Formats: sequence, C-alpha cells, structure tokens
Amino acid sequence: MTDPQQKQPGDALEAGLIEKAKQGDAQAFQALYDKHKRRVYSLCLRMTSNTAEAEDLTQEAFLQLYRKIGTFRGESAFSTWLHRLSVNVVLMHLRKKSLPVVSLEETTQVGEEDTPKKDFGAEDLALAGSIDRLQLQKAVDDLPPGYRTIFVLHDVEGYEHNEIATIVGCSIGNSKSQLHKARMKLRDLLRMKRSEKAQKS
Amino acid sequence: MTCVELQESLIENDSGGTAAQRAHLRDCPHCAGLVADLLVIACAAGELRAAHEPGPHVWNSIETSLRREGIIKPFARRSLLPSLTGSWSWTGWALPAAAVVLITIGILVRPHAPPPGVVTGGVTSQPASDAALEASVAGLNDNDLLAEVAEQAPALQAQYTENLRNVNDYIRDAKYSLDANPNDEDAHRALMDAYQEKAMLFEMALDRSLP
Repeated sequence: MTDPQQKQPGDALEAGLIEKAKQGDAQAFQALYDKHKRRVYSLCLRMTSNTAEAEDLTQEAFLQLYRKIGTFRGESAFSTWLHRLSVNVVLMHLRKKSLPVVSLEETTQVGEEDTPKKDFGAEDLALAGSIDRLQLQKAVDDLPPGYRTIFVLHDVEGYEHNEIATIVGCSIGNSKSQLHKARMKLRDLLRMKRSEKAQKS
Repeated sequence: MTCVELQESLIENDSGGTAAQRAHLRDCPHCAGLVADLLVIACAAGELRAAHEPGPHVWNSIETSLRREGIIKPFARRSLLPSLTGSWSWTGWALPAAAVVLITIGILVRPHAPPPGVVTGGVTSQPASDAALEASVAGLNDNDLLAEVAEQAPALQAQYTENLRNVNDYIRDAKYSLDANPNDEDAHRALMDAYQEKAMLFEMALDRSLP
C-alpha cells in the first residue's frame, strides 16, 4: 500500500481540503469525494460484483470517513485511511451476508484442481500479454467470494499478505495460498472463455 | 523439482525466481507458461483499481446525510455572507438582506396577484408590488455577487455572469412592455417572474453551496 511517510504531489492541496472539511465545508467534502470515489467504488464493486451494493457501500464508507474526519491527524496518508476503512465496510457487509471473506481452509497444499490443465495447454491459448480489463473483471466476478477478496486486496489494491492477514483475520500462509488459488482459477476461467470464443469463431 | 512441487513453491515465491524454480522452468515449457500467465494476471489486476465511476446519486445521498447530521455546517454553505471582521463594507450586508426581502415580498405578493384582466379602478393592483420588488432588486449588486462567486468558485463565474445577463435582459424587456402599456397583465406577470428569477439566482448563491 501507499507509504504513509512518502509525500505525494497534491498532498498539500488535500491537507487543505481536509482542514476545510473538518470545519464543515461542503465543497471540501465533495472535492475529497471526487478525488477518491473511483478507487473506493471500484474496490466495492470488485469485492461484491454488484453495482447497487457497491454504491451503497461507497456511500457508507464516505459517510463513516466524514463522520470521523475530525479525528484525522495526518499521521497516515488520507487515502490509506480511506481505503482501509472502505475494505472494512465491505468485509463487514460480506460477513453480514454470511459470505466467506476468506476460505476456512488453512492448507497450503496445492490440490488436484490446481494442477496444470492439459486440456487448456495449447500454446495458442497462452494468456501472456493478452488480457484486457473487461475479460479480467468478468473473470474476477466469477471467482468464489473467498478467493476474490484476497485477490482484490493483494493484486488490485496492493496490500501485503501481512496486512491482509490482519484485515481479514487469517494467517499469512492462508492469504498466500488463497491468492495462488485465485490466480490459478482466474487463469482457468480466462483460458476457458478464450477456448469457447475460439470454438465459436 | 516436479511440476506439482513447482506449483507448491509458487505460493511462497510467485515469480519463479528461486534457483530450483528457474532450473525447472528452463526444462518445462508447460510450467514456464503457467508462471508467465500468473504474472500477467497479477500485473493486469492493477488496471481494475479505479476502473469504475459511481452514479451521481451516490454523492447526492452522501451530501443529504451530511447536511441532515449537521456535518456540513450551515455557515459553510452561506459562503456569500460577509464576515463582520472581513473586508466587506455595510453594502456587503445589503446584498443578502435585500435578497431575503425580495424573496419574502415575492412570496407574499405572488399568491394575491389577480388573474389576467382583473382591474381595480382602471389600474391593476400590481404596480405597487412591482415597485416594491424593484426597490428590493435595486439593493442587489450584481458585481458583489460576481466578485464573491469569482472568489469562492471561479469555475462558475461565467455561468453566473450569463445567468445574470439573461435575467437582467428579462427584467428590461418586461419593464419596456409595461411602460408601453401599464395595464398589461402579462407584462406585470413577466416582470414579477423576472424579479423572482433574479432573487432565485441570488438565493442559490446564498443558501446553497456553490456547486
């Protein structure tokens, strides 16, 4: 994730907006929202695969943030704070829906399902350099929720395994194992779709 | 290292960069393809980070909640209200005060306007109202409003300038028609509408956060 100590361009502007927001300035709230809305909403959407839920969760994340903005002291980056809060909002939502945030399976053994699939082994189905965003996001949406959470947090959002373990409440080994399986599953999904497309044409 | 062992090792070292992994990958194109694919997936994932935009109603709902909960402070919305300690003179206070008077008069007068064609003693009851409205509008200083907009929301200055020009043209046209025919009900109505429109313009700037 973003290094809290590393100053980014625009930090001074954002600090000014945060101070104005603390005083109840409507424009400052909106400017902060405009700056971060895409990242927060995309996170919510990837983790829920549902636009209505993602919008509700985006709203909830920003409301929680703005209610607490008076306590923000700037020791950490605002974006880091917001994104961690957003992740918590989404995970809370998934837990309420009784969806697995992460698989209970703790093993790091690679199961049979994860061994290389000979039926998709043709060289012309190699993914290298040819995944577009739409294909990938459809495949991510098709992941089981437990795999999806870890994949989104690590590969999309850039959290480290130790951070994910803390956020999600699993072991570091489990996070690594789930990520590997998620990528393997995505590979299968992408190759399967490519195979279907090749057969149709 | 076998293919299964390689896959197990990818959990800890997903780039395939250890010596044992490299040795296997040199001799196994199948696993080399697998590692390449997994790296492509990991790299492409970053493109999903801010790929989508929420609908505009999301911010509307947030703003509504913030206002209801008092997190957006009323004084912050009234950015046009001059500070007593600021550089505004008493004329600065006249601007919002005149707008409030204008709006109040508009509200009080409007429902009592007689229907078209109703004339009392040969003269409609509206000229007095028009006069009151005109007097109030006279207290609204376009330049003060534009200066404040320029300071608070420069991007909106052109829009406010255009709107003010239109409404002033509207007032001028209505007054011209009324001068030509003082008993013209449509002209009276048009003039009142124009005044109210101008009042609304000031009210928007006063009572709402400049969008």
